[in-house]
Amino acid sequence: MFRHTPLRYAALIILFSGAVFTAFTAGYFGMEILTEILILAILVLALDLVAGFGGMVSLAHGALMGLGAYAFVALATKGGLDPLVAAAAAIAITAGTGWVIGAICARSHGIYFIMATLAFGQMGYSYFFERPFFGGDDGMVGPGRFDLSFIGVDLNDGRSFALFCLALLGLVYLIAVATLRSGLGRSLTGVMHNEKRMRALGLTVWRVKADVFGISGAMAGLAGVLAAQHILFISPNLLHWTVSGEALVVVILGGLGTLVGPLIGAVAFVVLKHELSHVTTYWHLIVGLVLIAVVMSRANGIFGFIEARFGPRTDRLIQSIQTRDDAKEAVKDA
Amino acid sequence: MTPDLGFWTLQTLNALQLSMLLFLLSIGLTVIFGLMHFVNLAHGALYALGAYFAATIASTAGFWVALLVAPLGVAIVGMALYGGLISRMRKSGPMAQVLVTFGLIFVLLDLTRIIWGDLALAINTPAALSGRVEIFGTGYPAYRLFIIALGAAIFSALALILSRTQIGAMIRAGVDNDAMAACMGINVERLFFIVFCVGCALAGLAGAVAAPLLSVTPGMGLEILIPTLIVIVIGGLGSLKGAIAGSLIYGFVQTFGAVLLPGIASILIYALLAAVLLLKPVGLFPAKG
Repeated sequence: MFRHTPLRYAALIILFSGAVFTAFTAGYFGMEILTEILILAILVLALDLVAGFGGMVSLAHGALMGLGAYAFVALATKGGLDPLVAAAAAIAITAGTGWVIGAICARSHGIYFIMATLAFGQMGYSYFFERPFFGGDDGMVGPGRFDLSFIGVDLNDGRSFALFCLALLGLVYLIAVATLRSGLGRSLTGVMHNEKRMRALGLTVWRVKADVFGISGAMAGLAGVLAAQHILFISPNLLHWTVSGEALVVVILGGLGTLVGPLIGAVAFVVLKHELSHVTTYWHLIVGLVLIAVVMSRANGIFGFIEARFGPRTDRLIQSIQTRDDAKEAVKDA
Repeated sequence: MTPDLGFWTLQTLNALQLSMLLFLLSIGLTVIFGLMHFVNLAHGALYALGAYFAATIASTAGFWVALLVAPLGVAIVGMALYGGLISRMRKSGPMAQVLVTFGLIFVLLDLTRIIWGDLALAINTPAALSGRVEIFGTGYPAYRLFIIALGAAIFSALALILSRTQIGAMIRAGVDNDAMAACMGINVERLFFIVFCVGCALAGLAGAVAAPLLSVTPGMGLEILIPTLIVIVIGGLGSLKGAIAGSLIYGFVQTFGAVLLPGIASILIYALLAAVLLLKPVGLFPAKG
């Protein structure tokens, strides 16, 4: 179950004020990086919801994000819908697709689940790559950002768009927390710890998994809609499995199953990427080494490390029991 | 285009050639998984490494030396990886293993870029195999036939070793129940190490063999990784039968899909994978029931 410890509140407040501070002080380039971080943060929250609390390590989330972007752009430019309506429809489509993928993959575990989601993701990638209707490998040009002039906001201004993304990220975070605290979220955590027992208790396990995957898919779709508006251009590369892989790296880097950790991971990953690519073209090498070091250190990512080091003793105890259970489950799954 | 005998011969051979290449890669990956429960995503990177070794060696010592030395070189890299990383990750969950080897992909990818540069390398097919062979009236490159023969030979050799020799029996026991095998006095750790090195060598061999066909680029390991994973998941993890069946299914679906159903070819194989996972969640021929 998800709990807000004082440490988590502190981290959230620091992250939030950091984002607001950056939005009002940064130049053009800084604003672009901030927006990139915020959109990535929405995607990794979606992934943490299924991977960290349901044990469903998905390699389809990049594809779900891409699907959201494509659905939004196609409905707005080819379907002639109002961008806000198109965005809502796109999110509904990704939620539905996520639900179906979650329902189909619910029987698979461990490496098979990863492979099954990978298959669905790559199916989407190949589809958009080959359809001339969706621009094939050339991609498509987006319809522009939402027109929010009725509340006096111009999203074409970089700062307004960054703050808009920040607001949506906050909303997604609240939805994730509300989901985890609801009966659905508690059932999901139960399923992750002992699926057989939850089934014996009378729970329809596949429904729980599918429902949460659907919610997570909607979040990924929202990230896609925002990404399409941010860069005003989409290509099939958004759906490629390496995007999902990178999102997974961010979740692990930050701290799986903490919600706060992946946010820190998103900041660290994007900043690291931009700083390193100034210095060297081989920034993947360093990201790879950092990833190996983080996983081998056996800490639960950056935030997991902070929690284990500075969190109160009781929290540490809970954490250690959980990770021990996780390890047992993981061994069983394999 | 009217499909005639020549067409079918050509496409069947193409499919077989692709299958055999994938088989060389997937057999190592699948047995490593079956025996050690270890998910090595960096297997594709080792294949790319094999291709680079082969390209470097072939330019000075010729193709045949490269074909022998490149797998050995990759096996040595594999030993280093085993000692440094893999043996320490043995007891972790699949998640941690996937991530460490995912990190390893990044590292190996950039190391090849640093050492060999971003440009594609090419090596020529050896003179002895540069011609074409007539089969049912269709000319087919001899080098591709060589790949098919090599794959078939390796398959037969592995099938014989696994079913007829003592070490094969030990490997099968290890896949079936490693704790029990260890109780029977089998040094399971050493067995793991040997299997891991052989798997790496086969990945290197696949890279060396593929080098004259495809251009050698840093991204080739990442490109082949997904097909290899599809093969082992369709076939079922841990079994030789699964690896060969999965490779043949992938090779034929991909090759004939591309010529007969060009519109949906690329989706076909993923749909097939999804269908297999739905009907048989552990693949067609898993090592354990």
